[in-house]
Amino acid sequence: MILLPELDARQLTSPLGRASPLTKLAVGFAWLAALVATTDPRQTLVILGAGIAGAIGLGRVPVRRFLRAWLPFVAAAAGIAAVNTILGAANRDPAARELLGLGPLRITEPALAVGVVLGLRILAIAGIGIAFAQTTEATTLADALVQQARLPDRFAYGALAAYQAVPRLSLDLGTLVQARRVRGMGRGWSPRLLLALLVLALRHADRMALAMDARGFAATGRTRYRIVRWSAVDAAVALGGLLVLAATVALR
Amino acid sequence: MRGAVVERGAVVEPGAVVARGLGFTHAGSAEAALRDVDLEVAPGECLLVLGPSGSGKSTFVLALAELLGRDVAGRLDGTLEVGGPVGVVFQDSGTQLVMERVEDDVAFGLENRAWTRGEMQARVPQVLAEAGLDGLGRERTATLSGGQQQRLALAGALAPRPRLLVLDEPTANLDVDGARAFVDRLAALHAAGTTIVLIEHRVELAWRLADRVLVLGRDGRPVDLGPPAHVVRRSGRALLDAGVWLPADVDAALGVASRAARPPAVIGEPLAVGHGIGFGYRRRVPVVRDVDVSVAAGDRLTIVGPNGSGKSTLGRLLVGLLRPDAGTVRLMGDAPHRLRSDQLARRAAYLFQDPEQQFLATTVAAEAGLGLRDDELARLPELMDALALPLGRFGARSPYALSGGEQRRLSLAGILARSPRLLVLDEPTFGQDRATYQGLLAILGARLDDGVGLVAITHDERLVADLGGRSAVMSGGRLVGGTMAGAPTTGGTAATGGSATGGSATGGAA
Amino acid sequence: MSSIAPPVGQGGGAAWRTRDILVTAVIGAAFGVFMAALNAVYAGLGAGAGSPWLLVYLGWLLPAVLAPVIVRKPGAGLFAELVAASVSVLVVSQWGPDALVSGFLQGIGAEAVFAAFRYRRFGLPVVALAGAASAALAFVHDTVLYYQGVAPELLALTFLFMVVSAAVLMPLVAFAIVRGLREAGVLRGFPG
Repeated sequence: MILLPELDARQLTSPLGRASPLTKLAVGFAWLAALVATTDPRQTLVILGAGIAGAIGLGRVPVRRFLRAWLPFVAAAAGIAAVNTILGAANRDPAARELLGLGPLRITEPALAVGVVLGLRILAIAGIGIAFAQTTEATTLADALVQQARLPDRFAYGALAAYQAVPRLSLDLGTLVQARRVRGMGRGWSPRLLLALLVLALRHADRMALAMDARGFAATGRTRYRIVRWSAVDAAVALGGLLVLAATVALR
Repeated sequence: MRGAVVERGAVVEPGAVVARGLGFTHAGSAEAALRDVDLEVAPGECLLVLGPSGSGKSTFVLALAELLGRDVAGRLDGTLEVGGPVGVVFQDSGTQLVMERVEDDVAFGLENRAWTRGEMQARVPQVLAEAGLDGLGRERTATLSGGQQQRLALAGALAPRPRLLVLDEPTANLDVDGARAFVDRLAALHAAGTTIVLIEHRVELAWRLADRVLVLGRDGRPVDLGPPAHVVRRSGRALLDAGVWLPADVDAALGVASRAARPPAVIGEPLAVGHGIGFGYRRRVPVVRDVDVSVAAGDRLTIVGPNGSGKSTLGRLLVGLLRPDAGTVRLMGDAPHRLRSDQLARRAAYLFQDPEQQFLATTVAAEAGLGLRDDELARLPELMDALALPLGRFGARSPYALSGGEQRRLSLAGILARSPRLLVLDEPTFGQDRATYQGLLAILGARLDDGVGLVAITHDERLVADLGGRSAVMSGGRLVGGTMAGAPTTGGTAATGGSATGGSATGGAA
Repeated sequence: MSSIAPPVGQGGGAAWRTRDILVTAVIGAAFGVFMAALNAVYAGLGAGAGSPWLLVYLGWLLPAVLAPVIVRKPGAGLFAELVAASVSVLVVSQWGPDALVSGFLQGIGAEAVFAAFRYRRFGLPVVALAGAASAALAFVHDTVLYYQGVAPELLALTFLFMVVSAAVLMPLVAFAIVRGLREAGVLRGFPG
């Protein structure tokens, strides 16, 4: 059962919480680009560390919550590292130092090195993701996209309304699974579930659209109840982001 | 002349409605949902709209909200003039609340109507206070109770100061207390001069509020219009034939047979037994605590209680959709959550409150026949006939396009086709008109006579009284009244959770 | 102020009605929910466990073709993918800004194909092409981000496999879903 996350006041009033979601996204994308541009473990580790520090320090995300969100990615990181090591390009290179040879399978040192870096990269990406998700409310994101990025109101708030429906859709899916079981169709998953869920989802969407239009949503020239403004915090976060980038460049 | 014109404020007083020959046909439908509606609603009046399921009541409300033709595909006939802005409240608060936080949701309608920030900041707390949601502005909408959510939906509709308020079964999802509180709010608005057009099945509550009543028939045409007492005098018979709910005193005046006590049931062997059942969806938050329950063949058990009391969860535990954290549940000797799906389906059945939530196919025939064995499939046409859903007429239609009553019968078909011994029904009479309700009682009565055991989880006091049998009250996950386990009784009193809204017959045959 | 209710609200033209916006967004949200649930079920199996992996992969691409086929408005594929990605970012805390990049690329790939046909053709060949484009961009993204070290021959082979599978499977699944939805009666008032 998926519930919408509830962020504590601590996280929302932290520096990251007060910064515009767009600033956080910009820094996130910049760091992502930096991660992709390198296979150097040190540079990756800098960003990994910065992400964790940002989340826990600037975002005031409780350590336990951070680790719990991070844990699934450890498995994914290990998997990615393994795939890159076992199927590594360097394994074909006869000049590379061999670590393990099992018949046709050959694992070399450079392949392992790349595998490890990519695993670390996953962890770094996850860290950035958690820092963002744990300090950003959906409403604020929608407001920032509309007021600061000038995206059309109707799409942003239409998406926000659909986002509110997520717990309901999750509940519907659970009920469908139970209905299948109690009608003798088995415990497992089935493509029929996707179709039934989409039917319910579309009917839900129709009713939401009706309710929103009944409240005047289709009109143009909406005003704003909540204001999102650039502030010193955004400059600080952007600066911090740049400093981390500078550090990674310096390590080249 | 085809096409319709919906005027605002020009010709018609604020808060008034004038309809001439109003009708609507949904896209893809051969027949009109609504036709030939002629009426004038005066400012400050309260109009109650009644009619059986499928009579076009919702369509009428959508017309008033100016939503037909734009959001709802179809053809509009006749003319409709509505004075001033309209506020709309639907029955499902979940689909009306579009923002994360309470105050943002109230402000949503104001933002759409280009109110200035200053005006909004003054108005939002005012509306919240009027709706009894003082101080909850920063709360998340998802954490509000059902009753609070509906009040929030009402607040959102009222924020722009509409002169006309239209409501489509706003109390459907609320328990008795929530419903009463909501209707009290409407009464206050009525007293203050807001025009109200209301569709409401809980006629006990709405009847005294209405200045006039509009009755729509099954074909979407008005049957009668006028002050409640006049309508009853003129069209009482027609109302009963149309299957419309009426308050108990009106029923009595029309000579409706008061409930005959059910003949004593023949109680057979125990079907489901539970001891000390405990369960929580999340750790440390038990939803069911230490409950003992037993249901035998031919037995009837109704479980009542406020929303959140754990009744539905208990129902699911009985049929093995959930595994108890503590205690034991045995369904005909086995732990139900361990049973294989097809074995489970032939022992017990669970009917969900919203039939749409359990549909797994896209045609009626496929839905009713899901997973049936050959012998069961052979008996299906007969079962469908008995449920007034003959396969010849309904087979190829979409389950989602059926009326509420037809959907309920279809969901029953799916589960009865396997002849389960135990039926657990979650709010089986939710949102039904009288005709469907009586049909349902007849079907359940026939099954009970066949020796099926029945558990009904419900808010509906009428159902509790009509089923007879034992009644148990749950609150906070515990049994707080009535008899859940132990010797089943026949007939007997219904101990209800909230205070009764009246309408229980004083016994005696018709 | 008056408004004329049009005889039939069929939703043609390039303007988005509220209903179009909500339906597209909810398709994205529904896929976000379904895929998150599927992830939870298959979490134990890990990467490269065979057929569930392919389904999961293609599952994330479906909104990019399904939404345009139903709603037939410019930007539908992109919008649906971004909403699905946002659900995964905010609700399930998966991948963060990278999910948005993925979603964007998956959406834009399909969108480019529909745009090339001026949003007038939504038949099998167009959907196959859109699915292939979406899969291609998704694969490039995944390679650059996660599989940088893998031998190029293997990558090329997998790329071919993914693109061809998408071209074949996406139209199959998408049209099956549309057929089912139409039969269930929820597509009334939508073109096609």
